[in-house]
Amino acid sequence: MAGRGGLLFPLAAIAIMALGWLALGLAVGNSYYQLMMTLVPIWAVLGLSWNLLSGYTGLVSFGHASFFGLGAYTVTILLVRLDLTPWFGIPLGMLVGVAAGLVIGYPTFRLRGHYFALAMLAYPLALLYVFEWLGYQEVPLPMKREAPAWYMQFNDYHVYMALAVGLLVVALLISLAVERSRFGRSLLAIKQNEPAAEAAGIDTLKWKMRAITLSGAVAAAAGGLYAVVLLVVTPDSVFGVLTSAQALVVTLFGGTGTLWGPVIGAVILIPLSETLQAELGDVIPGIQGVVYGLAIILVILLAPEGIYWRVRDWLHLARGTPGAAFRSRAPAAPALVPVPAERQTSGQVLLEVRGLSKSFGGLRALDGIAFQVEEGAILGIIGPNGAGKTTLFNLLNGFLKPNGGDVVFAGQTLVGLKPNRICRLGVGRTFQVVRAFQRMSVLENVVVGAYVRAAAEDEAFEIAREAVARVGLSPRLEALAGALSNKELRLMELARALAGRPRLLLMDEPLAGLAAAEVEEMLAAVRALPSSGTTVVIIEHTMRAMMRLAERFVVLNHGRVIAVGRPSEVTADAGVVEAYLGSKWTALHARG
Amino acid sequence: MFAETFLEALAAGLFLGCIYGLMCVGLGLIFGVMRVINFAQGDFLMLGMYFTLYVVSVWGLLAFLGPAAAPFVGAVLAGPALFVGGYLLHRLLIARVSGTSVTGSEDEGRSAQLILTLGVALALENGALILFGSTPQSARTTLALRAWEIPLLYDPTAAVFINKASVVACVLSIVIAAALYLLINRSRLGKTLRAAADNPTAAIYMGIDVDRAHRIAFGIGTGVTAVAGGLVATYHPFQPYVGLDYVIIMYAGVVMGGMGSILGAFWGGLTIGLVQQLSTLVLPTQLQNAAIFAVFLLVVLMRPQGLFGRAAERI
Amino acid sequence: MLAVEGLTVAYGGLKALSQVSLAVAEGQFVTIVGPNGAGKTTLFKAISGTVPTEAGRIRYEERDLLAMPAAARAHLGIAHVPEGRQVFASLTVLENLEMGAYPAAGRRQWARNLERVMALFPVLAERRGQLAGTLSGGEQQMLAIGRGLASAPRLLMLDEPSMGLAPAVADLIFERIGELHREDRLTILLVEQRVAEAVQSCDFGYVLETGRVVLAGSSEALLKDDRIRTVYLGM
Repeated sequence: MAGRGGLLFPLAAIAIMALGWLALGLAVGNSYYQLMMTLVPIWAVLGLSWNLLSGYTGLVSFGHASFFGLGAYTVTILLVRLDLTPWFGIPLGMLVGVAAGLVIGYPTFRLRGHYFALAMLAYPLALLYVFEWLGYQEVPLPMKREAPAWYMQFNDYHVYMALAVGLLVVALLISLAVERSRFGRSLLAIKQNEPAAEAAGIDTLKWKMRAITLSGAVAAAAGGLYAVVLLVVTPDSVFGVLTSAQALVVTLFGGTGTLWGPVIGAVILIPLSETLQAELGDVIPGIQGVVYGLAIILVILLAPEGIYWRVRDWLHLARGTPGAAFRSRAPAAPALVPVPAERQTSGQVLLEVRGLSKSFGGLRALDGIAFQVEEGAILGIIGPNGAGKTTLFNLLNGFLKPNGGDVVFAGQTLVGLKPNRICRLGVGRTFQVVRAFQRMSVLENVVVGAYVRAAAEDEAFEIAREAVARVGLSPRLEALAGALSNKELRLMELARALAGRPRLLLMDEPLAGLAAAEVEEMLAAVRALPSSGTTVVIIEHTMRAMMRLAERFVVLNHGRVIAVGRPSEVTADAGVVEAYLGSKWTALHARG
Repeated sequence: MFAETFLEALAAGLFLGCIYGLMCVGLGLIFGVMRVINFAQGDFLMLGMYFTLYVVSVWGLLAFLGPAAAPFVGAVLAGPALFVGGYLLHRLLIARVSGTSVTGSEDEGRSAQLILTLGVALALENGALILFGSTPQSARTTLALRAWEIPLLYDPTAAVFINKASVVACVLSIVIAAALYLLINRSRLGKTLRAAADNPTAAIYMGIDVDRAHRIAFGIGTGVTAVAGGLVATYHPFQPYVGLDYVIIMYAGVVMGGMGSILGAFWGGLTIGLVQQLSTLVLPTQLQNAAIFAVFLLVVLMRPQGLFGRAAERI
Repeated sequence: MLAVEGLTVAYGGLKALSQVSLAVAEGQFVTIVGPNGAGKTTLFKAISGTVPTEAGRIRYEERDLLAMPAAARAHLGIAHVPEGRQVFASLTVLENLEMGAYPAAGRRQWARNLERVMALFPVLAERRGQLAGTLSGGEQQMLAIGRGLASAPRLLMLDEPSMGLAPAVADLIFERIGELHREDRLTILLVEQRVAEAVQSCDFGYVLETGRVVLAGSSEALLKDDRIRTVYLGM
């Protein structure tokens, strides 16, 4: 995804491609090839519509034929019944597509992965039966000899071709606008890691609904134009599974998550399959389906993200650009940062946890957890394995609802709020497993976290730059995430959370797996946070490092708080020693 | 008379439902137990139909059994044949995207599985179209043309006609489903398959070759569904594209019956069969399948654990 | 019997184990302790073959373990009782034990081993027809150990058997493990969080911290060593 750089290159490319296609079309005389040159852009538009939803969000839709068919039938029925010209019919069809997106999206988005795919597969099939039953077996579009242009009917095929290319250009521009805006980035964030996106303040449902309605509108437009060009509509040709498959294959083959993917896929696959169908269709009916089937299989096995990305990665590698996926040179060993004197906290309670409990089935994961976090503090949550630390974070964040108790943040209760709302209020979170956009720069990865604070893109990027500077990663601002070291990835994850300008940051095991020198850098970054306005609560197991980082600890064991206090207090506490080392240890080493 | 029509629809629903139950059991093993998505399942059903046709009518291999029994035997033989097909499919293609290795992430493999099996489905059904042509075929048994006449108790002039073939097919379905149930639940192989699906990591610690277990389970699943296809073929016509319709029916049945339960899958399939046949009383033929899709969507949206499944299923 | 030499395991750039070496002699009870994230479970997974290794060797009775596929290792007599029990939730107690007896050695001595497991953990006999997923944590742990024993192992590896269990139950499990070592002369490799119990029962112990062996010694030596506390608590 060419997120950076200007608009000049893509716009020029689009213009050149459109003009080139039209020029080629003028040269072609054979009516069959003229039809194909008209259909390729239409299928590319369908592919682009599929890309808008599935390519960016990762939610695979097997049912885009629903929107395509509804668009086709809207145009057809309006023309046949109401004598309404397709010039109006197509936009109306797009509205139907939007409505269908809403109706389909709202319930279906609540389904998990495979159920989502199955449901999406079912919709067009159901529509197919319904339309057959309604009597629309085969509906020809009536010829309008009196005012053909008004009814979008032309003798010269080149006009249809121009219309198709025009629609393609519009779809490409829409895709470009989406890709370069927070719309596209939010969708990609959802694809990358939906819980993390939620926690970063992105209202995932809202964006998914927007994606499917836009996708539905574009697909319906393609369907409408398809009806106009072919002059006949049958349920199978527009609602059939081959149509849905075409949308999918074309994009999958060419490249998902990029506006060029569907175009590449359409240009290669459609002529191939149509030609095979034309040449061999009588002898080998169904050759088209076999080609698509094999194309899908090959792509999934060999280049799951599509040709575009495979080629681009290969080019990057060959050129040895900074984007190549090689690890940067090892950082210089930093001096060991001394333990700071006790930090002054403001004394104001920022977060209060009261009697928090959570059970899963019969298992009590957390029982009566209570503690306070003062503003400006760094609090460590520690405890043996299985003590309930991550469950606690999930409760604080809004991923889980407690069975009892309350969480009060700056005077407001957080219980029952959705994670993105909690983030908006000022609670951020980093996750253990960092899933970054490999092919995007650090800045682009971080900017997603700033959307919750900035309405305008420029402002968001400013905030993102600030956050990157805050963690000391500015020298790597433009580096691609795929080339970062582990420590740099962790710092980038931290920057993304900081871009949301949180007053409270929940950090989940940021030090796990890092080498000693890297741990020091992370510690330095975390230590600097309270002075720039972010209170930190951190779960960690690496005790030696934690003892030097946090000034206060809450120790959990078996879902309960067993000790609260300063490092020296907590490590001397008999209960804590017992939790970690076992009761016999305390007995053996009576000095405790 | 309405009573007769109703009873005939009910009977047809029950008998067809048992066959649907069998096909759902096949999918249930794959999707319900192993959580592998297989869009091509319907095409294995279709291949079972064509296998039966070829073995019985085209190649005449079972002519010695007579026109009544041959199709049924052919249908049963489709099982082993498509077991091999399914086994190979898993080994060559599905295992590569399945992430059966324990370090892979489950979710990432799912989407690739979905798309891959859709590709396989497309290739299979269009390949079938090329090989077999689009004319609807049938591997009808002569029993399909005969029916038992059962007079109604309260009105001796009225009678319900029950197609003989459907009864035989139903009985075979129940027998095979029961055999599969015993295999999965009582035999050592079955327990090994269930263990490998339940917890692949722990299964490796036991020394179980999990990849091979998954392949076998997949093959059994496709084989069983193929037999169901063959049984349907004994009295219904079919063509290469039937697979896709049946995929939704099968998933509807498995989901309704509750995931992870072979018995539940059978009940789910039976219910779908009943719904389909009874809906002919009120709905036009074309909308039958639409009705099933609607039921499927409702169940998935409102009660994902299924009508018969336990509430706490491992999903 | 088991010799790990210079083992290094890395997950996507993160080093889980660095040059770890340890040895278990036949009939010994060896324990491995260390804080979370130290790499203890990773070590077991490397021995069982469910994580790839970057460098090093693992030898088991003169065989190169790393050259064998994971599923083959159990048949050599290595039983792995995993962290978190990992019972087959949808199978019954008896079926779980049957799965444990999958290797040929286990099948040969099935009747005898079953009796032993039932004697060791009577509650399993009571619940033999119950689904494993419905057992309590302690019962599941007993089942997991029983499953390991059903394979008639020569080496029994236990990963944090006391995790998530109430102290009384954990004590009971520990007692039984000790019994297995004393009476059945089973070679045991134990990973534990409860340091004192583990170090007391063992013959020899290793302490892991962030992927390396930082301490090693006999039971008595380790018990007296206060450095362990620093490893766990950081100060």
